[in-house]
Amino acid sequence: MKKEQKKLIMLMSTMGLIIIGVFFFYLIAFRKDDFDLQTLIFMALIFLILVFMGIIFIKRIKEVKEGMPLEDERSKKVLIMASATAFQFSIYWILSISIFEKFFADLFGVEYLDAGQTVGGSIFGMAVFFVIFYLYYNRKGDLS
Amino acid sequence: MKNRIKELRARYGLTQEDLAKKVNVRRETILFLEKGKYNPSLKLAYDISKVLKISIEELFLF
Repeated sequence: MKKEQKKLIMLMSTMGLIIIGVFFFYLIAFRKDDFDLQTLIFMALIFLILVFMGIIFIKRIKEVKEGMPLEDERSKKVLIMASATAFQFSIYWILSISIFEKFFADLFGVEYLDAGQTVGGSIFGMAVFFVIFYLYYNRKGDLS
Repeated sequence: MKNRIKELRARYGLTQEDLAKKVNVRRETILFLEKGKYNPSLKLAYDISKVLKISIEELFLF
């Protein structure tokens, strides 16, 4: 099996896992009749990320079929820089979540954030930062 | 870093896509290289200079 095919299968598996996760999230929320504004915004953002991933995935398949590599030295650099910056930002994001929970949550009618909400919010924030920085570095050009 | 990739690519009648395929990179990489917005690795610089039949010193203007 070619290296490119293996990577495509890995990408497809990741997307599949996310789609299954979102499906179960919807299912649980639907069963609990828990469709408040917060859940809907969260789902809309997940949907946007999935659309973004889908567009990139289709573009990559098209390019691989045309004989282009799936990744090269520049795209690897973009990926590393986007991941590193997203990680740095997510530290501050997690810190801001804990500050929000401690001092401002009651202002928004939230009593406390449980572990699931905190971890989910942190990972979700990381994903959003990654998408933003991936787009930024991919368009930036100068990566030195 | 300035370079003569665009000029030499046109001389050999190669599109950005053709050159990208020959040196096994994505088209965007060639685009950013031509704009002088991306500094390639030594291997990529060597591969491009080989395809365009010119030395690295003549291809990239330091």
